[in-house]
Amino acid sequence: MNGPTLDFSFLDATARGSMASKHVDESLDAIDGNMHECNFKAPAVEDFEGFQREVINYVKPNHGTTTLAFIFEHGIVVAVDSRASQGPYISSQTVKKVIEINPFLLGTMAGGAADCQFWQRNLGIQCRLHELENGKRITVRAASKLLANTLYSYKGKGLSMGTMVAGWDLNGPGLYYVDSEGTRLKGQRFSVGSGSLFAYGVLDQGYKWDLTVEEACELGRRAIYHATFRDAFSGGTVSVYHVGANGWTKVTGDDVGELHFSYYPATPVDDVDAHCGGEGKKEAEARAATEASAMET
Amino acid sequence: MSIMSYNGAAVIAMTGKDCVAIASDLRLGINQNQTAAVDYSKLHKIHDRLYLGLTGLIADQLTLAQKLKFKHDMYELRENRVMSPKVFGAVVSATLYEKRFSPYYTEPVVAGLDADGKPYITSMDLIGADASTDDFVVAGDNVESLFGVCESFYKRDLDPEALFEVISHCLTSGVNRDCLSGWGGVVTVVTKGNGTFTRTLKSRMD
Amino acid sequence: MAPEGARQHANWSPYDNNGGTVLAVAGENYVICASDTRMSTGYSILTRNYEKVDQMSPKTLMASAGFMADAQTLKKTLKARCKQYEFQNKKPIGCVSFAQMLSNTLYYRRFFPYYAFNIVAGLDAEGKGAVFTYDAVGSYERTNYSCQGSGQALIMPVLDNQLKTVSPLVLPAVSSATPLSEAAAIELIKDCFATAAERDIYTGDRVELWIMNADGVRKEEMPLRLD
Repeated sequence: MNGPTLDFSFLDATARGSMASKHVDESLDAIDGNMHECNFKAPAVEDFEGFQREVINYVKPNHGTTTLAFIFEHGIVVAVDSRASQGPYISSQTVKKVIEINPFLLGTMAGGAADCQFWQRNLGIQCRLHELENGKRITVRAASKLLANTLYSYKGKGLSMGTMVAGWDLNGPGLYYVDSEGTRLKGQRFSVGSGSLFAYGVLDQGYKWDLTVEEACELGRRAIYHATFRDAFSGGTVSVYHVGANGWTKVTGDDVGELHFSYYPATPVDDVDAHCGGEGKKEAEARAATEASAMET
Repeated sequence: MSIMSYNGAAVIAMTGKDCVAIASDLRLGINQNQTAAVDYSKLHKIHDRLYLGLTGLIADQLTLAQKLKFKHDMYELRENRVMSPKVFGAVVSATLYEKRFSPYYTEPVVAGLDADGKPYITSMDLIGADASTDDFVVAGDNVESLFGVCESFYKRDLDPEALFEVISHCLTSGVNRDCLSGWGGVVTVVTKGNGTFTRTLKSRMD
Repeated sequence: MAPEGARQHANWSPYDNNGGTVLAVAGENYVICASDTRMSTGYSILTRNYEKVDQMSPKTLMASAGFMADAQTLKKTLKARCKQYEFQNKKPIGCVSFAQMLSNTLYYRRFFPYYAFNIVAGLDAEGKGAVFTYDAVGSYERTNYSCQGSGQALIMPVLDNQLKTVSPLVLPAVSSATPLSEAAAIELIKDCFATAAERDIYTGDRVELWIMNADGVRKEEMPLRLD
C-alpha cells in the first residue's frame, strides 16, 4: 500500500483487457489491498457471453422494480418501490432503491441490484472528486454523463441497469435516464423497471406541469402503488422524494400492505358464498339439521 | 420460468380433528409479471365434503376441473352416492395419467371428509403420482415457502377454528415470499358435524 | 476474451453447489449467526461436520453457503485483509466496514462471481446487533434477520412471520428493531433448522449457533436429522 491514492485505472477499457491476461497470484494481490490489479477478473473462457448467461443461472442476482421520476413546476418528484426478487422468490421487501449521491443528486435503481449499488457508489466518488477539483457542485448533466461513460465502457459485458439521475443545479432541475446499454436521455418524465408500464399509465394520466408539490408527490406515490398492485415483481414500500432548489427531501414512505387498504378500504365479506362452492352459515345450519339423512357415500 | 408458474398459485390442505381445511390464494397472473385478477380462487367444490384445489396453468385447471366434476356427477347419478375423497383422488390420478405424454400442466390437491368424517388429503404431480399424507399437503409455484411455514406451524388434531387459524397463517406467510401468488386468500373448512365454512383472507396486495 | 494459453473442456463447470443453510438474527444487544454442518455434492454427503460460520474480527461473524471452494477462498482473502486493516489502523475492523469490504470484494468478481451466498453478523459501533445479507455479486442490505442457502425459501417465511417489523423505509420512521430476547431467538433458530432439515436434503446433521453479545462470543449446538 502506498498511501491513500485513488486509482481509477479500472475505468480504462484497455488496461482492463490486459489485466485479465496477467498470470499472477491474484489472491496475493487481493490480500495486498491492491484491489485494482485484479479488478474485474475475467473468466478464462472462450465464449464470454455464453459464460455470463450460464453464471446468471447460478448466482441469480436481485432484479425487478418500478421506479419513476418527473419534472414539474416546483422541482422533481422521484418515487420507487422496494422489492428485490431472485426469479419468483422475493429476496427483500426493504431495498433502498433511491441512492442519495449527494444532497442535490439522487439516483434510482432498476435491474441488477449489485450493479446499481456499486456503480452509483462509484458515481458518488466521481462527483465528490469533481467537486474537490472544481470547487463547485457537479451539474446533473455532467454527473449523468460520467455514469453513462462508465457504463458504456462495460457495454456487452452483461451489466444490467436502468437508472435515473435527478438533481438540482445552476440550470434548475435536471433529469436523465441512463442504462447499461449506454443510453443517456434527457427528459421530463421517466419510469423504469418491470412495472414501469403500469406506472406510466397512472403518471401520464395525472401529470400536469403546474401540480403543487403535494399533488405531485401523491401522483408519484399513486403511480408506484398501482404498479406494485399489478406487477408481480414490484412491491414493499413506496418511497417518494422531492428535489427542490435546496436539495432533496424524502417526503413519504408507505408500506403497500397498508397503503392498498387506505386507497381501497376492505369491507368484511358477508356473502361468503361468493367463492367457488363455499357454504354459507344458513346453509350450514340447514345442513346440520338434516345431518343424519345427509350421510352418504 | 416454467409453464407451471405462468399463472402463479398457492394451495394448501390440512387435516384436523374430524375436519379438513383447504386454502388458496386469489391471484391470477398472465405473462408472468402481470396480475390480471385478484379474486380468482383455485378451489373447486366437488360435493359438500370434498374440495379440489388446482395449481399450474389456468387453462388446464379449468379443463380438468370440468372433466372431474363431470366424472363425479356421472358417478353420483349412476351409483346414487357421492365419491369418497379417496376414490375421487384415484379418479384424478387416473385422469392425469391418461395424458401421460401430453399432460395437463396442473398439480391437484384433494381434501375432504369420508363417510365416517375421517379427513383425507392428497396432492399429486402433473401426471398423477399421488402422495397422500395425514398432516398437510401443498402445491403451487413456490412449494418450498409453503412447506417451510406448514412444517413449523402445523399441529395435529386441531379443532376447525384453530385449523382455520393455522392454515390462514401458513397461506399468508408463505405467499409473502413469492412474487407470483398472494393478493388475498380463501379458506374452506369442512367439518364432520357443523357443515362447511368459507372465509376470505385479507393480505398484502403486492 | 480468453487469456492466452487458456484451455477449455466442453463440459466443465467452475462451480458446484455444496448446499447448506446459514441464518442470522440481530437483537438490541446481541446477534446470533447459525449454520448447519452438512456439506454435500449432488446426492452425496461429503461431510457431516463442516462449519460454515467464521469469526472475521472481534465484532464480526460471517457465514457462507453455496460453493464451499469459493466461500473458503473468499474468507481466506477477507481474513488477510482484516489483519491488514488492523495493522494499518491500529484497531480491528468493525462489522459495518467489513460489510462494505465484502460487498466490494464480491463485486470485483462481477464477471466471474464467487458462487457463495453470505451473511455477515456483528455488533455495530453502538453495540447493537447487525445482520448484512448479500447476493452473489455483492448487493447488500442491513436487516434484522436473514437466511441464505438451500433452506432459504423454507425458513424465510417463518422468520417473517415471527420477526417482521415495520420497514425501515417507512416515513415517519418507526423503530424496526427485533423485539426478541436472546433466549427466545436461540429457540426460534433451532426450530427453523429443525424445519429445514425435515424438508431440505442439503440441510442436516448438526446446527451450530454463534451467539455474540457484550460479553463476547459463545457457541451452542443441536443435533439435526442425519438422513
